Amino acid sequence: MSAPQLLAGPDPSRGSERRSEHVARLGPLPKGGHALIELLVRTGLTGRGGAGFPVGLKWRAVAAASHGSAVVIANGAEGEPHSRKDRLLMASRPHLILDGAMLAAASVHAKQVVLCIGEEHHAALRSMSGALAERSEHERRMVRIVAAPPRYVAGESSATVHLVDAGIATPTTTPPSPRDRGVGGAATLVQNVETLAHVAIIARTGMATDTVLITVAGGVRTPGVLEVNVGTPLGDAVQLAGGASEPVRAVLVGGYFGQWVEPSSAWSLPLDTQALRARGLSLGCGVIGLVPASRCAVCEVAGIMRYLASESSAQCGPCFFGLRALADACTRIAERGTDPGDLQRLQRWSAEVHGRGACKHPDGVVMFLQSAMKTFGDDFAHHPPHLRRSA
Amino acid sequence: MNNSLLWYTTRGAGAVSLVLLSAVVVLGILSVLRIQSTTWPRFLTAGLHRNLALMTLVFLTLHIVTAVVDPFTHLGWLAAVLPFSSYYRTFWLGLGTIAFELMLAIVLTSLVRGLIGQAAWRMVHWLTYAAWPFAVLHGIGTGSDAGSAWLFTLQALCVIAVVVAVGYRFLTGSHDPLADARSSFQDAVDRREPR
Repeated sequence: MSAPQLLAGPDPSRGSERRSEHVARLGPLPKGGHALIELLVRTGLTGRGGAGFPVGLKWRAVAAASHGSAVVIANGAEGEPHSRKDRLLMASRPHLILDGAMLAAASVHAKQVVLCIGEEHHAALRSMSGALAERSEHERRMVRIVAAPPRYVAGESSATVHLVDAGIATPTTTPPSPRDRGVGGAATLVQNVETLAHVAIIARTGMATDTVLITVAGGVRTPGVLEVNVGTPLGDAVQLAGGASEPVRAVLVGGYFGQWVEPSSAWSLPLDTQALRARGLSLGCGVIGLVPASRCAVCEVAGIMRYLASESSAQCGPCFFGLRALADACTRIAERGTDPGDLQRLQRWSAEVHGRGACKHPDGVVMFLQSAMKTFGDDFAHHPPHLRRSA
Repeated sequence: MNNSLLWYTTRGAGAVSLVLLSAVVVLGILSVLRIQSTTWPRFLTAGLHRNLALMTLVFLTLHIVTAVVDPFTHLGWLAAVLPFSSYYRTFWLGLGTIAFELMLAIVLTSLVRGLIGQAAWRMVHWLTYAAWPFAVLHGIGTGSDAGSAWLFTLQALCVIAVVVAVGYRFLTGSHDPLADARSSFQDAVDRREPR
């Protein structure tokens, strides 16, 4: 691992970095604008919230639709259950995020910046509001903090817009995309807080950053957040997290909307958005989850399916009823053993649900299930009945 | 083009449309009543309801186009869009025109439900209860098959199916689990300042 870039400086566990320390370490904030957008396009920075969309292109689109009244939402809702990287960054490097948000506002001609922070991320909320108090009066007037409810869909970009606009964190139908019509109908840039922190570095150095924040979770000795070089083999990241605590059955790459990978092919995977995409995988929000061989894979999947079904905002029938039916079928297999009819239904209903929600929640869940059934095909096909739920 | 072929198509497509439309209405009611089982969850009913509705529109289009282009009938395109403008069975054919236009409105608003919102969509969807009887009456009063035993049987079966479904809905009320789940989720993520 080479030098950290976002988490360089004082130990992140010591908490919020003061503004004086931040400026002494990195220098003053450069100017945002058209040149910065073009620099971001050239560096190829991609979003770190999950979708991995090219940042420069998004800023260009919002700047074009802005008419001088765009809104920037710095997204620190972090509703992904095992992800910790956004709250760690907010709790330790608030000024990096504020710098990035101010650069975004200047570049897309925004008058308002909203910091959307998960309401249970207490240290992050304290750190960000403390940091905001240290900024100029102009910035303090521009920026406000909105606490997001701790639900899976609350961090989806249209849901953050709906939260800021109407106070209700449910996704809305797209199009229109927030970048065309977001907060109050204005063009809105929704950008993950880690992404904004990268921008704050790139604007200062004029060069691409080459690190990524990941959260290593599950069967490792020291689970937590790491800043690793882009392209680091997944196995090296696991070693940095103390190594696997027991034999590994499978690795979930990219969080719940990511993909399951067998350990044999997982360790050599490069942690790099483009390289993973070329393999049909995704870095997503950077969660690397290890499932130990001692756990029943089908029961783990059934438990996650029940959680994801319960996180449907119940606005679309196919999502609410379809995901519940899929989770129920998985649970039946987990509890009563494999039934060929249920296996068939999982396949057929997956196809029925996909693409039928206003947001991408049902699609993400179906892809998670498809990946699980591919990786744990044998487990699903020959699952014995369990006396009680283990997940 | 063989004129009698066009006329047979008009009549056949009309009968098929009635059966499909009745099935769509029954499925819609089953969906509202959350009729479902382990092997047939409710979202499949909704999917079938949607697909059959689109298919109904296809057969209706066939029904109308073949009737209008049939040189023997001389109906003209105006009769297909303006109710009660046809020289031929003015009243009964007009009912069909109204039914078609209502169905078109119902399908189009369903396709853009995300844009117009749930409330507006729901209002228009209630028009089903006008479109379906108009369609049935149109079939009873129009065409070469009106009063024939086979068509009467078909119409009777459709009416019985829909009346039973509507009656059942009326008796059991329309408790909507989706609406319940939606409002409880919204309460959970509602961060508006209390007024």
